[in-house]
Amino acid sequence: MLALLGGIFLGWSLGANDASNIVGTAVSSKMMRFWPAAILAAIFVVIGAVISGQAGIETLKGLTRLTIDQAVISSVAAALTVTLMTVMALPVSTSQSVVGAIIGIGIMNNQLNFLGLGKVALCWVGTPFGAAVITVILYRILAFFYNRLPITLFSADRFLRAGLIFSASYGAYALGANNVANVTAVFVGAGMINVQAAALIGGASIALGILTFSRQVMETVGKKLVALDPFSALVVSLSMAMTIHLYTLVGVPVSSSQAVIGGVLGIGIIKGINTVDMNTLKRIFLAWLFTPVVACSIALAIGYASRLRYIPL
Amino acid sequence: MFRFFFKKDNRVEELIFDYLETFQLIQENFSNALVSCIKRQRCEKFDFLMEQTHKCESRADDIMDEVNNLMFGKALIPDFRGDIMNLLISLDKIPHFLERALFMIRYQGLVIPEAFAQDLQELIRISIESCDLVSKQVTLFLKNKAGTRALMSTIDTNESHCDHIERRIISNLFKSDLDPFFKLQFKELVINIGDISDQADRVSKLVNILTLKRRV
Repeated sequence: MLALLGGIFLGWSLGANDASNIVGTAVSSKMMRFWPAAILAAIFVVIGAVISGQAGIETLKGLTRLTIDQAVISSVAAALTVTLMTVMALPVSTSQSVVGAIIGIGIMNNQLNFLGLGKVALCWVGTPFGAAVITVILYRILAFFYNRLPITLFSADRFLRAGLIFSASYGAYALGANNVANVTAVFVGAGMINVQAAALIGGASIALGILTFSRQVMETVGKKLVALDPFSALVVSLSMAMTIHLYTLVGVPVSSSQAVIGGVLGIGIIKGINTVDMNTLKRIFLAWLFTPVVACSIALAIGYASRLRYIPL
Repeated sequence: MFRFFFKKDNRVEELIFDYLETFQLIQENFSNALVSCIKRQRCEKFDFLMEQTHKCESRADDIMDEVNNLMFGKALIPDFRGDIMNLLISLDKIPHFLERALFMIRYQGLVIPEAFAQDLQELIRISIESCDLVSKQVTLFLKNKAGTRALMSTIDTNESHCDHIERRIISNLFKSDLDPFFKLQFKELVINIGDISDQADRVSKLVNILTLKRRV
């Protein structure tokens, strides 16, 4: 079980960081209080991981064959990449670092599933753009009905708040379902645990991250999106959840941060304003490029180092 | 069914409608007080109505304080919170103008000259009409009913009519041979009453902006 600690740590940091993408806007703009939001997110992350997490786990474990040692190496390499890039203030995606680490192990084993990798890479590129497209469509549809609803300002307030609670729950469900593979798929691939146990352990570790360490990240990161009006914030939150859920059905873990940025970009397209600057887009591109490369390099380095043997003279 | 989850919001809604009722009472007392003061220079009825106006104004302030407390207790989402507070703060300036006009007459011992009584009565009538319309407009906005734009247009017309009367009174005042000190006091009273329709117009335009803002 000790070998699982690397994955649990990765899940914990994923929960602490990605909770802000789900409920950050609502919490930092005081539409929801932290504890109800965190508890709600934690519960739905576990439900999502247990009910719909299998597809992503199957995809990641199919990228290469792993031994138990290699599973530990890949999860440690992914965790190190996330930590390193966070310290260097570079954008980082847990999904991309996990896949990068698995590629590293695959190179070492000289065995890689290129078809699976192609599918994963395509989904990464599709995440922000897909979220933007979903946001534009969803905004138009919801706005059409919202503007025609015979509701008072107070009813609109209740509607938006209830919508936000729903989208936060749905977002947490989708995050759990999609990202649990990042946390424990390698251990399933190594034959350490079965898919159900992996989903439960992964979901629980993400939930632990949300409950113990997400508050500060939520209050700082979430504020970047507060400029959105409540209706747009609701649409971005819903479209992020839908995007991630869509990729869950495909069975590819993607970045929730990139889905949120895509959603905000979609609002900018509708309103004809610059919601995401070129710098942010450049950073996403850099994340696509660097995260898997760094994780792959670290996994390779640790992998080769673990093969070194001390030969006494 | 879900009202339990939105207790603070429901209380804010009730308080706003309470405020609008109190606002109506302030207008009635003010209007009756000024009319009685124009008819008979010094009477007990004026003092009584001034006192009633003051009491209602204090009640309006208490309601505002309670709304403020609830808002700081995080009732409503921030965007709506800001809109409602701006609207109430803007609306709440009107009772202050009404009360101040009565205080000027009472505590500065102002007597309305016969020559200006008719114009002043007309100015008060239109100003109170504007207040009444703005109160209706706010109610329509809160209940999401149509007609706020038409009311804004009437309030705007009233405001410009009040400006004309205000200028006419002041111009005639300074042409008259009344005591110069009285002229300044009376001018201040006329400007204060003129401010009522100006403020009603500002509130009305704010309601229009908020109505447009609600569309996404």
